Amino acid sequence: MGYVAVTAGEELIERAEELFEKQRTAGDGEDVAVEQIDEQLGRLTSQAMSEAGLYAPRLAALAVKQAQGDTVEAAFLLRAYRSTLERYDETEPIAPSEMVASRRVSPAFKDVPGGQILGPTKDYTQRLLDFDLLEGDAEDPTEEWDIEDAGDPEDLTNVMELLREEGLVAEPDEAGVEEPTDTTREPVTHPPERDAVLQELARGETGAVTALAYSALRGYGQVHPTLAEVRIGELPVRIEHPYTGDEVTVAHAEVSESEAVVPVYAKREDPQFAFGYGLTFGRNERKAIGMTILDASIQLDGEDEPAENPEFVLDTVDGMDSFGFIEHLKLPHYVTFQSILDRIRAIRERKGLNEDGRVSTEADDEDSERDSDDRTPAAEPPVAEVSDDD
Amino acid sequence: MVDPHDRSDRFELVAACEGATLARFADDVLEDDPPLSVRQDPKPQLLMQRVVEPVERRPFNLGEVVVTPAEVTLDGHRGFAMVPGKAERAALSGAIVDAAVAGGHPLTEDIVAELRRVADRHERERARAWAESKHTTVDFETMEDEE
Repeated sequence: MGYVAVTAGEELIERAEELFEKQRTAGDGEDVAVEQIDEQLGRLTSQAMSEAGLYAPRLAALAVKQAQGDTVEAAFLLRAYRSTLERYDETEPIAPSEMVASRRVSPAFKDVPGGQILGPTKDYTQRLLDFDLLEGDAEDPTEEWDIEDAGDPEDLTNVMELLREEGLVAEPDEAGVEEPTDTTREPVTHPPERDAVLQELARGETGAVTALAYSALRGYGQVHPTLAEVRIGELPVRIEHPYTGDEVTVAHAEVSESEAVVPVYAKREDPQFAFGYGLTFGRNERKAIGMTILDASIQLDGEDEPAENPEFVLDTVDGMDSFGFIEHLKLPHYVTFQSILDRIRAIRERKGLNEDGRVSTEADDEDSERDSDDRTPAAEPPVAEVSDDD
Repeated sequence: MVDPHDRSDRFELVAACEGATLARFADDVLEDDPPLSVRQDPKPQLLMQRVVEPVERRPFNLGEVVVTPAEVTLDGHRGFAMVPGKAERAALSGAIVDAAVAGGHPLTEDIVAELRRVADRHERERARAWAESKHTTVDFETMEDEE
């Protein structure tokens, strides 16, 4: 069944849109400035940027404001904007070890080189409502800190490199990938290359990534990793200067990174660790860790567990895809539904069912030549089939 | 030590400079109405950020970053700038400032001094942020020996 166009008054659609906008503006509070969202609701803008696959904090704040806090809608707005822009270039590939970290913890190694830097987090405190915020307390609680000069930011040794030095992690083969797959320009084919998996997971919807990763931990999979480290920091965005040819830094993009070790001693002659990796725009540790678990799971290339099936994972984690498919069901499906109604009515008529769902005596008489199996509803093809209208 | 007279260093300082400051310098440079042609209009564009993942050490595309590049010729000297985000005025102003310094405009020393201040401020902010993070460095104690 195909779609048919429906018409409605443009003015009425505008009225509905204006009512939606009124929901944002009708309260007694002042209009929320984009700057306030950018500066104070960084988790929201991070999620929108991460799921859009587009780093632009101020535009993300605008999108969050326009979407009234709906992060997937905000990501949709950002992707739509992105589709109007030309690409200047690809950056020089950068190693995450160049990240200037504001936070780095290693759940695997207590005495990790460079130290356990908690950074800005509430991970170790109770989740209690802070009623002082009702008064709009804007004081900087670190103002009185007596901080020693810590020198220049250090390059923090990557835990994976430590394991690699001990021979506990296999040295990778030469990757031989000059031009990684770009899933924004070419469709993902299966089985997917790892670079495509990482790009798709990096812009996956946070809830979907979290849920699928959680499914692996809950027993629908074999991966239960130990996190080697979790980092938050800024990655330099570099291009080749068109005049000098030097690599120059345009900006710094805040990212969340996670690495996980997965023991595979039971499966190989040489006991070593396998790894999962997660990296995404903005501060979103939950998603980075979920991505790590899914990366490790997908490498098992299983078909029995959802998280290990790359096709299943990549088909379901994208927020734009799921948002579009789920929410499009709200749009007019009158022809589809009318067709279903017609089919059900025809089947009921053919089977001689009355309003109570029972076979009427009259119908029995009229259809007495039919094979009795034809009258059994369970033997009929299902009336609610998968719609082919999409 | 960054040198605003160096084209590559200047590019990074212009990218980190506030748009209003760049616009003020650009207005001052253009006050005498020097010949200016815009070689590349300031329009937001995308940079695909590539990262080498540490497991197999292969590059992948993390996502795109919005930037605004611009290029001008000012009094026979080329200038190029690229600033983060959607910032057309800052990008065009930055390209004019870059060309002005490249051509030895009379405002060069003022511009260079301001760019040095930008570099110092960023250095201080970076050091402060790192010191704050280091201030939260913790030694986790295992409790296995405690009764």
